[in-house]
Amino acid sequence: MTLEAIDVHHSYGYETVFEGVSLSVTPGEVVAIIGPSGVGKSTLLRLLALFDAPDDGAIVYDDDPVWEVSDQRRLEYRRRIGMVFQDASLFDASVRRNAEYGLRVRQSWRERLRHELGGLVGKENGTGAAVDALETVGLREQAEQDASSLSGGEAQRVAFARALAYDPDVLLLDEPTSDLDPRNTAVLEDAVLEARDRDIGVVIATHDMHQAERIADRVGVLLGDEIIEVGPTERVFEDPVDDRTRKFISGELIY
Amino acid sequence: MSLEQQMLTALVVDFPFEWNYIRSIVRVSLYVSLTAVALSTLLSLPVALLVGFKEFRGKTLLTSIINTGMGFPSVVVGLVVLFAVSNQGPLGSFDLVFTTEAMILSQIVLAAPVITGVSLAAVSSVEQNVRDAAYAMGGTNLDVALVTIKEARYGIATAVLAGFGRAISEVGSVLIVGGNIASSDGTSVTRTITTAIQLEARQGRFETAMILGAILVVLVLLVNAIVVRLGSGGGRYG
Repeated sequence: MTLEAIDVHHSYGYETVFEGVSLSVTPGEVVAIIGPSGVGKSTLLRLLALFDAPDDGAIVYDDDPVWEVSDQRRLEYRRRIGMVFQDASLFDASVRRNAEYGLRVRQSWRERLRHELGGLVGKENGTGAAVDALETVGLREQAEQDASSLSGGEAQRVAFARALAYDPDVLLLDEPTSDLDPRNTAVLEDAVLEARDRDIGVVIATHDMHQAERIADRVGVLLGDEIIEVGPTERVFEDPVDDRTRKFISGELIY
Repeated sequence: MSLEQQMLTALVVDFPFEWNYIRSIVRVSLYVSLTAVALSTLLSLPVALLVGFKEFRGKTLLTSIINTGMGFPSVVVGLVVLFAVSNQGPLGSFDLVFTTEAMILSQIVLAAPVITGVSLAAVSSVEQNVRDAAYAMGGTNLDVALVTIKEARYGIATAVLAGFGRAISEVGSVLIVGGNIASSDGTSVTRTITTAIQLEARQGRFETAMILGAILVVLVLLVNAIVVRLGSGGGRYG
């Protein structure tokens, strides 16, 4: 499995966001996209999550350009991708129901109806994968709580479990720890590394360069409307090829 | 003997004919209004989701029609529906004049804008992030719509309640298209609680009118309580 953006051009109205951005992720690696706020990290992740088609260029899944295949095929690709947003965006339901959501939408309508009716009469049949995913983020005990009763950090961990539960090939994380305290950040970073060990490819957008250094195998630097440099984390941080990367990493204002 | 039992006995003994009469009126009222509200909800929710989340030509016009419809005078609706179902009207061949079906039709025209308008406000308040999350987890557009409905369930329950309140308590349109008919055995054919109240009051039978009035108020309170109870189900959904 490889998910790639190839020479992607994209704009919103008259505002160009990308001019020729390329990035790929393979199983079992963590790729960090670093760059200043507002540069388009979220837009790039949304393109990779197949929310929108790029204006030009291609999003390719295993050598298959996903915007040239049938809707059904694209849905199948979409269902092999998980995403966590900056804001937890949990549903108004129990923690377990949130974690199960991805599994439910992949079930037949008959199974889903049976589950809904079972829920109404108080008979809950929890799915193992959702509970396991909650275990990964340390929230198994809270499974029956209302999602609204969780702290911000716990909610974000549930959002991660929700994306992990259906065992995606790729996880896209959009600044998942930007609002979290150090403890919750550490739990999420461990969960990311565990996902990598399960051969999931992870793309994480972050403005926290220390986080990129801690967990990423490769780093892409997004500046202006292009990725100016991609390479192994240590090499990019220690010996950047592009002078703008060096300046950005050292905190000089270059944008 | 308690006061309640005394009243009950008085009614049964003094007006043996009244209970059948009242029961049949309540049955017709509930049948017409519940059917109209159920059909209106099925019509209204997709429209609310469409108007709430899609951009299309004529969206402003449709929103204006919904808002106007929420306060549309029921007698005028009755008049238009009567024309539609009359021999000369487009639905003339169905022979619906003075039937419960025509009453259901007119109540749909009255309740649907209320249910659509209030549901629209409810679904529009569901955050885009939550809808995006449903899509990102592999949901189809239908799944995203279902998540939106679940997130907006309290607001939608309120919309259905408001629609039912509008339907069960209106008098103008059901009077015109239904004709307030009772059969020769003294049971209702197209007579509803509201049309019966105005007839009984006009004929000076205030006890019957008061009983019907009390039943109407209790019904509306009961439905309200059920909807609130369902709405507080909380974490069961999702």
